Amino acid sequence: MIRKFVLAAGLLAISIGVAAAQSRPVLTVYTYGSFAGKYGPGKLIKDRFEAGCGCELTFVTAEDAGSLVGRLRLEGESTKADVVVGLDMNLAAEAKALGLFAAHQADVKNLSLPIAWSDDTFIPFDWGYLAFVYDANKLPNPPKSLKELVDSPNGPKIVLQDPRTSAPGLGFMLWMRKVYGDEAGQAWGRLKPRVVTFTKGWSEAYGLFMKGEADMVLSYTTSPAYHAVAEKKDNFKAAGFTEGHYLHVELAGMTRTTKQAALAKSFMAFVLSEPFQSAMPEGNWMMPVKDPAAGLPAAFRDLVKPSKTLLYTPEEVQQNRRTFTDEWLNATSR
Amino acid sequence: MRLPLPHPGSIVAFAILALVGGSFIALVTIDGGKPTLLSIGPYLFRVLVFSLTQATLSTLLSIGFGTALALALARRRFPGRDAVLAALGTTMVIPGIVAVLAVISVYGRSGWIASGLSVLGWSSDASIFGYPGILIAHVFLNSPFVARIVLDGLSVVPAEQWRLASSLGFTPGQSFRHLDWPVLRAELPGLASLVFLLCFKSFAIVLALGGGPGRATLEVAIYEALKIDFDFGRAAWLALVQIAVCLSVTLALNRAFTRPPAALTTRLPAARTDRSHRALKRVDVGVLIIASVFIGPLLLSVLSGIAFIGAVLDRDVAVAFATSLAIATAAAAVACLLALALGAAARRARLRSRSPAVAAFYDILPNLLLAVPPFALTAGLFLMMRRFVEPAQAGFLLLPLINGLAALPFAYRSIAPRQFIAEERYGRLSQTLGLSGWSRFSIMDWPMLRRPFAAAFALSMALSFGDFGIVALFGGAELRTLPYLLYERLGAYRLDEASAIGLLILAMAFCLAHLSGRMSHAAD
Repeated sequence: MIRKFVLAAGLLAISIGVAAAQSRPVLTVYTYGSFAGKYGPGKLIKDRFEAGCGCELTFVTAEDAGSLVGRLRLEGESTKADVVVGLDMNLAAEAKALGLFAAHQADVKNLSLPIAWSDDTFIPFDWGYLAFVYDANKLPNPPKSLKELVDSPNGPKIVLQDPRTSAPGLGFMLWMRKVYGDEAGQAWGRLKPRVVTFTKGWSEAYGLFMKGEADMVLSYTTSPAYHAVAEKKDNFKAAGFTEGHYLHVELAGMTRTTKQAALAKSFMAFVLSEPFQSAMPEGNWMMPVKDPAAGLPAAFRDLVKPSKTLLYTPEEVQQNRRTFTDEWLNATSR
Repeated sequence: MRLPLPHPGSIVAFAILALVGGSFIALVTIDGGKPTLLSIGPYLFRVLVFSLTQATLSTLLSIGFGTALALALARRRFPGRDAVLAALGTTMVIPGIVAVLAVISVYGRSGWIASGLSVLGWSSDASIFGYPGILIAHVFLNSPFVARIVLDGLSVVPAEQWRLASSLGFTPGQSFRHLDWPVLRAELPGLASLVFLLCFKSFAIVLALGGGPGRATLEVAIYEALKIDFDFGRAAWLALVQIAVCLSVTLALNRAFTRPPAALTTRLPAARTDRSHRALKRVDVGVLIIASVFIGPLLLSVLSGIAFIGAVLDRDVAVAFATSLAIATAAAAVACLLALALGAAARRARLRSRSPAVAAFYDILPNLLLAVPPFALTAGLFLMMRRFVEPAQAGFLLLPLINGLAALPFAYRSIAPRQFIAEERYGRLSQTLGLSGWSRFSIMDWPMLRRPFAAAFALSMALSFGDFGIVALFGGAELRTLPYLLYERLGAYRLDEASAIGLLILAMAFCLAHLSGRMSHAAD
């Protein structure tokens, strides 16, 4: 008797739960794993958006930006994504070519982004410069320019990511190309002897660096802020290079296939608002595109500020990536 | 006229081929069937040559070292032997990045050996990157597994044969030739092609420890085509090249495939006569010392995560653990049932229809699955099923299926040989008794298969537990496995927590391997 009662009560509770869940519209946000993970900003953003939307926000995650585009391509028009958060500039042209994204209609003027933004499909939500990170206790005099790094035969050993499999790896290949132009191939040849290895992704490279296998690792200008805030260590620094640094911008877009167009639109506006932006610095360890009202956290204020921003447009990347990659391969795989 | 019902094994084989073939067709035709030409340029050619070389070297070393270790372990008894056997079963499932960091912790520039040497006043500029790093990592991951499987094989030799050897006064050389060698000859070709495939595809490890893009595997090009170029057609063609290479290697290795005829046994534990031989004792002690010096530190370095276990044990990890466990159970069920069906078909072809070529086909099929890049297979299967299944649910179906297929070659290795022995020992008897169908399976097969089946189940679970192949594409807030969590933490700079999660995966694998070991070592 009691067992039956418990069963009935349980069923009732479940059906009420389902009904309650159904009564609220659900906004499905595709993003990459560490964004929605324990230390990512995802939880905060979900709570803050749900507080005002009368809806439920669900994250669906893929490993990284590349997997996100791959998944969208596989799902095509039947995708459940209403919004995608976490693409980047170098994939923007490919993502746009899917024909799945709608115009964002948000106001993208007055962003604190190093470049002017005019794209009407994607909005930037955070950014950072690529930079070499080093331990100042072990490397007191880091190179001051990319050319110094390339042309010091006894310079520091570095660990890089493979441009074929990794976003920062691709970014550095473009950086070399921006600085050396058609001579990038020769420059790669001179740098090669000091490249410990090219890893599959950022995690492997950063892990090798932290294990002491290299003097510098390709990461972001914002990486030292993590060590300063989360570990209270100030010996990790990013090296400023006089030629300027390559820019990494992360993007969000809403799909044209969404059944929650109004919600998706309001989320796109939310991306540029204070509640979202203030979660970026210490949640995603990247620079926000709108400075928080209280100012940036202290650790982000004294980061390297490059004198010049280096960047290819998404279309240039799409057209030239194959050629650049082959040039890199020829110079380094011997 | 009634058509005879096809054997479950042939249905399974057909289904597997249809799944793989269908997913390839789906990939190639996603762009409206526009032909993607694949030119194997000088770079791809160099990559192929390198892949073949490193995979061959890794295989030779893993097989050689693993076999020596298995023989030493078969001959010697020492306290803690069971734990050692269980530890051997764990290295296989170590996620690639954890293996890379383990190699670096021990052999790297600031690793244990370098620090030890510098204390002694020696410093060396020798770099681990290149062939040494790749080979160390591959031998570390694969040779313990080889040792485990060979050891299981050696234990099937009936005790009577050892008693006979003892009364005939066999020298250790003669025992090896007449008792051990037939087992090795039956086990090693399949094992070698398995290890070869794993090394040929290995990709994160080869890039991280290779030192340059010249040291890459074909899988990098496939990854690039899938995830950067989004050229699924090209990826499918590259995958076909990979399958062709792997098929040739597997066929070459399996040419001399024979199994020793099984003998009746009184199921007593074998007392090896070569245990007391002096010189062999020294050799075995040497092998065991080398093994513990080589494998021990690398495994110990993974234990360094233990300090952070407390910090990672939270709801996320508990849910991920449960998810991993559920997926692993489903995947193991898929792997073991498929292995059972394929093994039965192979046995039938070999013993009843007397067509060894057909039997060899069933033997090779599971291994070939390993040659299919999981990402390509997942993408293709998803394209096939997206019309019938909600994308959100696809992950729940694909994850156990793909992990199960990935574990199939391993499950097949434990199950199929025992099915063969059961038939040889009791096949005629059961025929005389008129057993067929279910009663034949439950009376003749199951008592012999119970233990290897459980062992294969535990091993498949362990393998699925450590897998990060396709969660990368279909993970989600609701579908996070432990390896997925590991990468998520790495992406958030949490190296220490990642190492603790790596340790959790390893601990789970150890428990499963221990279980699997107890199952497979009990006499049948």
